[in-house]
Amino acid sequence: MTEPALASLLPLPVALPLCGAVAAPLLARCSRRLPVIFSLIALAGSAAVLLAAAPAVFRGTVIAHYLGHWTPVNGHVLGIALAADPFGLAFGLTVALVGAVLLLYSLSELGGLGSRELGGLACLFQLLLAALIGAALTADLFDLFVWFEVAALASYGLTGFFLERPLALEAAFKILVLTTLASFAVFVGAGLLYAGHGALNFAQLHNSLAGHAGTADTVALGLLVAGFATKAGLVPFHGWLADAHTAAPGPVSALFSGLMVNLGIVAIARLAFDVFGTASTPVLGLLMTLGLISALLGALMALAQDDLKRLLAYDTVSQIGIVAVGLATSRAPGVAGAAYHLVNHALFKSLLFLCAGAIVHRTGATKLSQMGGMARSMPVIAGAFILGALSIAGIPPLNGYVSLSLIHQDLLASHQAVPYALMLAAQVITVAALGRAAWLAFFRRPAQPVRPRERLRPGMLAGLAGLGGGCVVFGTAGPAVLRTLMAPAASGLLHASRYASGVLDGRARLGLTGVPFDYLSPGELISVAATVAVAAVLARGYLRSREPRLISWLRAIHTGSANDYAGYAMAGTLAVIAVLSLA
Amino acid sequence: MILVNYLVAVALLCTGLYAVLTRRNMIKMVMGLSLMEAATYLFMISLAYRAGSTAPVLLDPPAGQTAQDLVHGNVADPVLQNFCLTAVVIGVAVTAVFLSVVVRIAQHYRTLDSGRVREMRG
Repeated sequence: MTEPALASLLPLPVALPLCGAVAAPLLARCSRRLPVIFSLIALAGSAAVLLAAAPAVFRGTVIAHYLGHWTPVNGHVLGIALAADPFGLAFGLTVALVGAVLLLYSLSELGGLGSRELGGLACLFQLLLAALIGAALTADLFDLFVWFEVAALASYGLTGFFLERPLALEAAFKILVLTTLASFAVFVGAGLLYAGHGALNFAQLHNSLAGHAGTADTVALGLLVAGFATKAGLVPFHGWLADAHTAAPGPVSALFSGLMVNLGIVAIARLAFDVFGTASTPVLGLLMTLGLISALLGALMALAQDDLKRLLAYDTVSQIGIVAVGLATSRAPGVAGAAYHLVNHALFKSLLFLCAGAIVHRTGATKLSQMGGMARSMPVIAGAFILGALSIAGIPPLNGYVSLSLIHQDLLASHQAVPYALMLAAQVITVAALGRAAWLAFFRRPAQPVRPRERLRPGMLAGLAGLGGGCVVFGTAGPAVLRTLMAPAASGLLHASRYASGVLDGRARLGLTGVPFDYLSPGELISVAATVAVAAVLARGYLRSREPRLISWLRAIHTGSANDYAGYAMAGTLAVIAVLSLA
Repeated sequence: MILVNYLVAVALLCTGLYAVLTRRNMIKMVMGLSLMEAATYLFMISLAYRAGSTAPVLLDPPAGQTAQDLVHGNVADPVLQNFCLTAVVIGVAVTAVFLSVVVRIAQHYRTLDSGRVREMRG
């Protein structure tokens, strides 16, 4: 297809799931499962359009579409732009494809729900996916705010989906408080930037901000970063994340963790690189700090959890921290590694959450202390969980290895010894946490044997197989994926001026930077082996000794009170603004 | 000069934030968030203001002004006002969800105290 034809199709990937969301409650009146099947078709349509755009976009073209044909006049943008660049498209495609897998899984696991419930679930699911695809494709700050809010509203509904469960209500209240505060920050930030520059389009803002950013601009950036960091679950904005994941059904947790949380980090990446890329603000240093703190704290909290889904949720905080560190390197290998890790995280974390959901479905057990010895009774789930855990641990040839190596090697190559050491420490703790979970759930001799009461349904099996297969493919085909998808994605962020002129006049091409990657570099293989060995010792020591003081203290400050979490988030917002304006 | 607008916006924001951070009654927390929301609207509308400008309704030039004045941009910025309209609509939806969650919490836990609704912690 030609580029103008593709550009005119660009609203479809968002519009199709939106239509599906509207139709879902109505279709539920005809047949119980029809809304979910219809949403699978809508998502397939979205994915098809995105895939049709992929060859051109990943060769370095930015395909821009102005809604209502309000095209720019002399560099002044009047309309709302949707622009497919490699970074956004990589995220959008992940959302459409992984989202379809998750829907298939829900159809199977939650297929026994009534028609009203299934209609509502399909509606909220598609609303959230449409918002995520919209956020991936938009090139307009206010549009981004709207997608943020659509995603937020859908996530409130999904968190509190089982309204009769008190835990779900508690989680819904916390996510509401924190996300509402975040939305104020994003709203005011967008307004301040508009008031200062008279522009909302990323490209126009980029051109207007080039070289200098005033105080109002840095305050606006601070508000925007704080707001999107809440969505991304970076510390100290992460209070809602673990609770929302614990209370939601398995596929919904997978959707939150694998896809929704990424919206925040994608938006931060857009702002830091494509909007403020040449404005010389200390945003990347800030991102590095936030990322390292999140990576460490998330891993430590994961090590201490007894609830399996909560453990995985804290690990999400840690993984998003790693993505933030990768972005903050601002060099092609690190940023490509971050984009790669974002996609990998969607695959392996969804897989792990589906495993946790399947365990709940089959045995009713949510806590590790209730599980044990399940490797024998549920070999498929055990295999899928271990595959996911090995991917996170970065064991070759699984997908985590490639992205983690890229980020680690880039930190080493740019002589950032302290971040590198902290990243390795976080990685050791993460591996220990997941190793502990796998041991307790699957291999330990249980006090009383856990017997599955339900069988694994075909749709659930397909979901696990699809995501597990993704982990293997993205690992073994690492260099090819890096060359064709992730290196272009990094150049979508690093060549901000090319992105800007691509959005404005559609003629410029992103200069594609090659990212060298040595798949079997001995140093990296030794480091992985050492990490696993140290992690094994750590996990064994943790299981045998009393809880360390540091972890007890960290658990104590996660008080579970919405007031406290709001306080942490506000303190974080003020700190972010202060750092950006004063540094 | 509409300095007073900004001062009122800041005062509203601080009042709302104070309620969110210190009140444990969930209804009061929702009220605090609504106050903060109102503060953001006031702030946006004030940003849109220009000295001596008219409302951005451009059917006929208002008395004492010619169409030429309007062409030269002597109207309040309509984009920021549109921001507010969008945010008001979103805010209504969010408040509705918020209150329905609080009602369900009150039914389940028989309390509105956010300090007692924290089974998930640590």
